[in-house]
Amino acid sequence: MADPVPSGGGRGPVSGAIYDLGYRPYDGPRNGLGAIAWALFVEGFRNAFGLGRSGRSKVLPFLLLGINLLPVVIIVGVLVFIHLDELPLGYAAYASRTQVLLSIFVAAQAPVLFSRDLRHGTIALYLARPLPSTAYAVARWASLLAATLVFLLTPILALYLGAVLGELDFGEQTAAALKAALLAVLLATGLTGISGLIASVSVRRGFAVVATIAVLLLGNGVVTAVQGISEEQSRPRIGEVAGLFSPYSLYRGAMGALTDERVLTPPTGGGLQAAYFGVMVALALVSLGALLVRYRRLAGR
Amino acid sequence: MEPVISTRGLTKDYGSVVALADLTLDIGPGITGLVGANGAGKSTLIKILLGLVMPTSGSSQVLGLDVATESAEIRGRVGYLPEHDCLPPDVSASDFVVHLGMMSGLPRVAARERAAEVLRHVGLAEERYRPMGGYSTGMKQRAKLAQALAHDPRLVLLDEPTNGLDPAARDDMLGLVQRVGDDFGISVLVTSHLLGELERVSDHVVILDSGRLLRSSETREFLNATGTLLVEVLGQDAQARMGQALAAAGVPVHPRGGLLALDPDPDSPHDVHDLIRDTALDLGVGLVRIQADHRRIEDVFADG
Repeated sequence: MADPVPSGGGRGPVSGAIYDLGYRPYDGPRNGLGAIAWALFVEGFRNAFGLGRSGRSKVLPFLLLGINLLPVVIIVGVLVFIHLDELPLGYAAYASRTQVLLSIFVAAQAPVLFSRDLRHGTIALYLARPLPSTAYAVARWASLLAATLVFLLTPILALYLGAVLGELDFGEQTAAALKAALLAVLLATGLTGISGLIASVSVRRGFAVVATIAVLLLGNGVVTAVQGISEEQSRPRIGEVAGLFSPYSLYRGAMGALTDERVLTPPTGGGLQAAYFGVMVALALVSLGALLVRYRRLAGR
Repeated sequence: MEPVISTRGLTKDYGSVVALADLTLDIGPGITGLVGANGAGKSTLIKILLGLVMPTSGSSQVLGLDVATESAEIRGRVGYLPEHDCLPPDVSASDFVVHLGMMSGLPRVAARERAAEVLRHVGLAEERYRPMGGYSTGMKQRAKLAQALAHDPRLVLLDEPTNGLDPAARDDMLGLVQRVGDDFGISVLVTSHLLGELERVSDHVVILDSGRLLRSSETREFLNATGTLLVEVLGQDAQARMGQALAAAGVPVHPRGGLLALDPDPDSPHDVHDLIRDTALDLGVGLVRIQADHRRIEDVFADG
């Protein structure tokens, strides 16, 4: 610390010449909790795509984003050149078809937002700052939710633009795209909560990734098998109830109730259809609540 | 002067251990060393002051704000350097300090300026643009100090800032701590389990032992001269001959390691320094040094 120039006079007005490199106190404005939480949200959102981090960490999210958009490009191309009168793949069905990509994305990026601070001890620096632990958790959750929504909504928007440019019926397309967007929000909140919770209890990134993919895809696999068998055996009620137990089958069920897409054992009857939406909302709220409890505990340690 | 930190009957009982026992303490502005063995309650005290750990009983104030009700305000005006690792390896110190400055409430532009400023002060130059995973321990500690200073706090709580540093880096860090307190005008509470290193930089020393206050006083009170003189001589059998001659001249003397410790009568009309010089000249031994024997902070423990 060989500072060649003598330091200034501390907190008072710095006396001395222009070359005096002494410490200058900060007298400017300071933000409140809302602005701090917003800054944390924006930084987390950028980090989820590897922005503001090393070059290597940008590869996976953008690769997945690119692959996820590839079918859209093909569909829109076909639509424009062959002049189809409807989209070969519906807006809402798109997320269902690309669920493996989506699962890898949330499984890989949730640890960026939730495990990293725990693993490297950075959480202590956040907790020693004005934001309460619960606000920290909500900001992190919101960052992951926003990143997941970018992943889910970009193809819908691209398909919609393609459909409008391809001169399909405007009102019909708008209604279908909006329904798909609503379903995407419901799906994203659930995925965010589940993957965030797993990442926040697992300090090791690899474990969080594997566990999240297992919960999302294996859970869906089991439910899909049950639904397939129950339809085969003409006892669809079993499959309809089984669909309540995995985020992707919930999404398919809700899609079946809301749109004309054909899915396995769509929920029939107003009660069960409402249950699908209710469970999706409850899943989002419960997982967010569990995250808050988790961070409150961390803060009080 | 109004205390920067004050605690009243502060107790933290973890069930199996009592980390703090009825601690009543006032810490003023300037640099205060908080000394104690591992597990003496230093980190627990810091976490209570930050509002991160709830005390079992008792109250505390930081910068005149009550910890129980105004901890968010306190955390906005206090900087914290934790004992353990807290740096993500894939982020540069520059980006990291900007981000944490914003987390302390600075607007983005101000956070950039402050980050550049504090990183320069802690001595991270070009390396601040490199990911912190490649830093040496000394550079990591500097980055940790920089984030604690990013928002121009009124007080910094430094938990073992010299932990894991080699002697040269340790000296640099202690020099930085001294600059933060003396030149930057920021009050400092710095902990260490090494008593010796804090006596150099702190104005005030607080000693904790098993969660209890052992002693709190100004550093110079610990270090005041004891009246004993230490003499080192060089030559054939010099120490023994010198000791005998001084004893014969009526000065109580006993060997201490390679030195002679003299306890001259403070009321004696003759200057003992002259006697030492003359005796050494008569015996033909080389007089290497005469120094006043200062107490060390360690002696507080020896005193019980």
